[in-house]
Amino acid sequence: MKSIAACAAVLLSLISPIVVADANVAAPSVSKVTLPSTFKPPQVFKNANLVHVISLEKNFAKEQINVVVENDSKEPQDEYFLPFTSQQMERVGGFEVKDRKDSSLTGFVVEAVEYDPLSDTQYYRIRLPAPLPPKAQQTIGISFHYLQALTPLPAAIEQTDKQYLVYSFSAYCPSIYTTVKQKTEVKLPGSDIPEYTKIAGSGDVKEFPQKSGAKLTYGPFPEVPAGAVSPVKVRYEFTKPVSHVTLLERDVEVSHWGGNIAFEERYTLYNQGANLSTLFNRVKWAQSQYFNPTSYALKEMKFPLRIGSTDAYFTDAIGNVSTSRFRSNKKEASLEIKPRYPVFGGWKYPFTIGWNADAKYFLRHKTGDSYILGIPFLEGPKQPEGFGYEQVLVRVLLPEGAGNVKFHTSIPESSITDVVVDQQKTYLDTIGRTVLTIKARNLHDDFRDRDLIVSYDYSLAASLRKPLVIFGSMMSLFVGTWLLSKVDVKLSSK
Amino acid sequence: MAVATATDSSSPMQTLADFGKSKSLRTLLRVLILCFIAGAAVSSRLFSVIRFESIIHEFDPWFNFRATKYLIANGFYDFWDWFDDRTWHPLGRVTGGTLYPGLMVTSETFASCWPPAFSGLTAFAAYLLTNEMTTNTSAGLLAAAFMGITPGYISRSVAGSYDNEAIAIFLLVFTFYLWIRALKLGSVLWGALCALFYGYMVASWGGYAFITCLVPLHAFVLICMGRYSTRLYVSYTTWYALGTLASMQIPFVGFLPVRTSEHMPALGIFGFLQLVAFIYYIRSSLSGAQFKAFLFVGLGAVFGLALLALVAMTSAGYIAPWSGRFYSLWDTGYAKIHIPIIASVSEHQPTAWPAFFFDLNLLIWLFPAGVYLCFQDLKDEHVFVVVYALFGSYFAGVMVRLMLTLTPIVCVAAAMAASQLLSTFLSVKSPVAKDPEQEDATDVSSKKIKQNAGSLRSTNSPYVGVYSFMSKGLVSGIMTIYLLLFVLHCTWVTSNAYSSPSVVLASRMPDGSQHIIDDYREAYQWLRQNTKEDAKIMSWWDYGYQIGGMADRPTLVDNNTWNNTHIATVGKAMSSSEEVSYPIMRQHEVDYVLVVFGGLLGYSGDDINKFLWMVRIAEGIWPDEVSERKFFTPRGEYRVDGEATETMKNSLMYKMSYYNYHTLFPPGQAQDRVRGVRLPDTGPVLNTLDEAFTSENWIIRIYKVKDLDNVGRDHAAAASFDRGHKKKKAIKKRGPRTLRVD
Repeated sequence: MKSIAACAAVLLSLISPIVVADANVAAPSVSKVTLPSTFKPPQVFKNANLVHVISLEKNFAKEQINVVVENDSKEPQDEYFLPFTSQQMERVGGFEVKDRKDSSLTGFVVEAVEYDPLSDTQYYRIRLPAPLPPKAQQTIGISFHYLQALTPLPAAIEQTDKQYLVYSFSAYCPSIYTTVKQKTEVKLPGSDIPEYTKIAGSGDVKEFPQKSGAKLTYGPFPEVPAGAVSPVKVRYEFTKPVSHVTLLERDVEVSHWGGNIAFEERYTLYNQGANLSTLFNRVKWAQSQYFNPTSYALKEMKFPLRIGSTDAYFTDAIGNVSTSRFRSNKKEASLEIKPRYPVFGGWKYPFTIGWNADAKYFLRHKTGDSYILGIPFLEGPKQPEGFGYEQVLVRVLLPEGAGNVKFHTSIPESSITDVVVDQQKTYLDTIGRTVLTIKARNLHDDFRDRDLIVSYDYSLAASLRKPLVIFGSMMSLFVGTWLLSKVDVKLSSK
Repeated sequence: MAVATATDSSSPMQTLADFGKSKSLRTLLRVLILCFIAGAAVSSRLFSVIRFESIIHEFDPWFNFRATKYLIANGFYDFWDWFDDRTWHPLGRVTGGTLYPGLMVTSETFASCWPPAFSGLTAFAAYLLTNEMTTNTSAGLLAAAFMGITPGYISRSVAGSYDNEAIAIFLLVFTFYLWIRALKLGSVLWGALCALFYGYMVASWGGYAFITCLVPLHAFVLICMGRYSTRLYVSYTTWYALGTLASMQIPFVGFLPVRTSEHMPALGIFGFLQLVAFIYYIRSSLSGAQFKAFLFVGLGAVFGLALLALVAMTSAGYIAPWSGRFYSLWDTGYAKIHIPIIASVSEHQPTAWPAFFFDLNLLIWLFPAGVYLCFQDLKDEHVFVVVYALFGSYFAGVMVRLMLTLTPIVCVAAAMAASQLLSTFLSVKSPVAKDPEQEDATDVSSKKIKQNAGSLRSTNSPYVGVYSFMSKGLVSGIMTIYLLLFVLHCTWVTSNAYSSPSVVLASRMPDGSQHIIDDYREAYQWLRQNTKEDAKIMSWWDYGYQIGGMADRPTLVDNNTWNNTHIATVGKAMSSSEEVSYPIMRQHEVDYVLVVFGGLLGYSGDDINKFLWMVRIAEGIWPDEVSERKFFTPRGEYRVDGEATETMKNSLMYKMSYYNYHTLFPPGQAQDRVRGVRLPDTGPVLNTLDEAFTSENWIIRIYKVKDLDNVGRDHAAAASFDRGHKKKKAIKKRGPRTLRVD
């Protein structure tokens, strides 16, 4: 636990760029740069060597671009641009940039560029920590992912059939710079790959891709000019649910008096896999459960929670769902839930889970009136097939009267779209609780253990407010009744 | 526990006895005991919440819940004008004008857990009512305790039954209390209060007619006994005038109080009281002979005229005759013949005698004793107990549901009897000679008991008492055991019989852990999430409110059975063959059909067991097309196996229940666990419906109504073509089967 505090202290010093200073001032997100609509990224870099890795093992497409960039101009440069189509811009998320040679080097800033909303090509701008001198090289690793990029083909299948997904991409890594040498690797969940686009080879290879087990390799290609694309498609078996959450609302309610932190998460879950071509058949389902349990229907979710979590619940719009198991002991806390029905492709299942945890695991008293809260940003299910979130809304409900709210999170900054601090009134509140709302988009379950650290001030006077209000109102009730009982309403003096 | 506390109030402890003299301590004790009773009443109703969860369990409450949500969302005025187009498709329902809004207005936000809260108030009202009957305050406490935990009332007020009755019984008892109070004092204020709560009662429950009939009856009996007084006149006229006005504010009631026969007694007694008052006035100013002549002529003429007018207005249609439900109260066989829809509700069946013991336990035999005690000291309020007891017993015997209205008076009367018994036998002091001042030195606590007991007896009557200590100990010991047994019984009944929600079925696993079968909600949730927002669901009316509430989909018929023909239409669709049903479903734009099937699990409340009611109700409207007889074998058996009649096998309900069911078993072993029969190896063939969803334990089966065929064939031909197309070889094998045209 000490490590969290220590880590928090370190991180706090880093907070300054994304601080939301005053409790009542809502600062909108700043992960966008606005540039004139005639903007054209300058051709100042050259990709000396590029390896593009596309992982399709989970139900979203994860891409990693490892590139050796070289300053091709006369001046030092620090702005590297990455192009996306406007469609991709909607679904891309989880941008992270690292230096591949020196992993201790930090300070890469990734921002979406806003210049012409109608243009089909949009950019992300990567600002290097230090400008690159002319002819110098730097090896950077860029990772990001696309949600909803996989489409089932055929779009409707039988209940017991295998599901196949299609992913389209470019064999040449999209870049606005000349790429001297590159290759694209596609990692697939299995070797059942009935179709993939073949293109002409280069050098001693006649035809791309080269297939080895569950891996396809396009390239290496010789020098490719800026902006070159070579569209390819791959269709592969993925008989697992394509779980997709359109909206996750995560409420974290901090109670100093109760020494408790209450979590509640509301999921709007869809399975974006193939639809059923015939209607659901219970007999077949029961049999397939017995003989061949792999299915593209989502039937169970596992939530590993932080140790010490208690009182877990699982409900939906019409009440408690009895098919859940919760285990909590000193080593682990795990919530396993089953939806009311197997969620097939195209089906929807919104649900709510929640649990309590002792505040001592998450809350630290720093100095004087200030406190630090360290919680996971995301605690969704841990599924082998992956779990995507389109919109995530994390609300941290701090006690009434808390102020000077600052936060830091290790979630990629470009994923956060909005941050608001305002008030919300619940039971027995007079001015309302301070609520920090963080909106993020396009995340997936690999980010589930990233931290969210919130620091705030909470004075003794503020913590005494509620008991005093209750005491005062009860007293006024008693005094009122007493006064009323003193009033003589009799007409006669008998 | 509460009972024990109640009797403890006179526990013999030295300090307590000394303290007990002070009035304020007694008040404090009384308040404490009442709080404990309220606590016991509330907590005994929370079984279902603890065992299961805080949800609304029953069928009806789902409508109340939905209506409340509408009220909150749209406000009061919109609520009155609410036209609900998501029920009774395609007719819709003028909901604002056809419900009792008291409940929704009362509860607005707090949902399933508040009926228990009202039970505490009901216990308090019973305390007040009993205190009006006897000077012995321990009787009131006993009555409150009885009211708090008796299963007869718990059955309708457990947490999760968000129903009108929960609030109505409190209002019923409280209105009666106010009425007795008004009658005793002859006070306009209390009469007006009584009218106010009567108005609230009218807004809450259709059972308000019970008050509307009982209060006039009480007044009438009093007049017949020659007990007319200005107190009666003042209280009754105040209550009637204000109460009727209040009741007419509810749109569903409207002008009923002056137009239907159920309300006529109240109006008649109102007129009669004026007449009697007038006669009393005349008598005070006329001589005996003149008065007699006036009485005969005047009274006879008025009475005759009034009766004639009533008959004339009824036959002319200004006053509606008794409604069907009321007829079924006089003739228990009436409903079965004329209105099967009423008879088909299990709550409307006559009560079986063990039910009285089940619901009231020892109260049922203390009850007559309490009524007898009322005769000993027959004041106006005691007449009320006698009248209420008589009518309450009759109605409770006729209809299971009306056990609820009997329960309060049983509690009151039984508490009177029990406290009389206890205060007689718990007095440690033996009556010695005629000197009540002499103290028994061996027991110091007798002071307090004596005060309690002494107040019951009139001071000038000869001092009769129990002399033997043995008999005292024996009787009070036995009584205590009975009371404890009563508590045990109540707890057992409440936890076992009345706290299991109908939505969720619970069973025990071999290792003793609880296994919950949640098929209803599984299917409703599926409907809610994975069908079109306006997909019309056809099901039997029992599930209408639940589908509306939990699945949030429009239904054809629901538990508000206002339109018998529409229900009969659904009954006809279910009981006819596919060729007849399909056009009906198309005409009503049905998208999905939902049936409840318990065959796999042995769940006996399924649609096949309710099927004969559907047939009967449909037959009531279309006697030429649906015939109950055809569902019975020539030997008069209702069968579902291979021997079932052709009509049965071809009916949509049968097909939907058993479709595909045999594939779950090895050949020849398909079994229906409810009916306990083996089913034929070949299941029914469905041409116009597709199986869309079946819940885990097969309790709910949902079918999708097929669209018209693309190339204009009828569904049977299209389906057989499809089957033939898929299995060409199978045609040769069982050629005749695929060629069959239904």
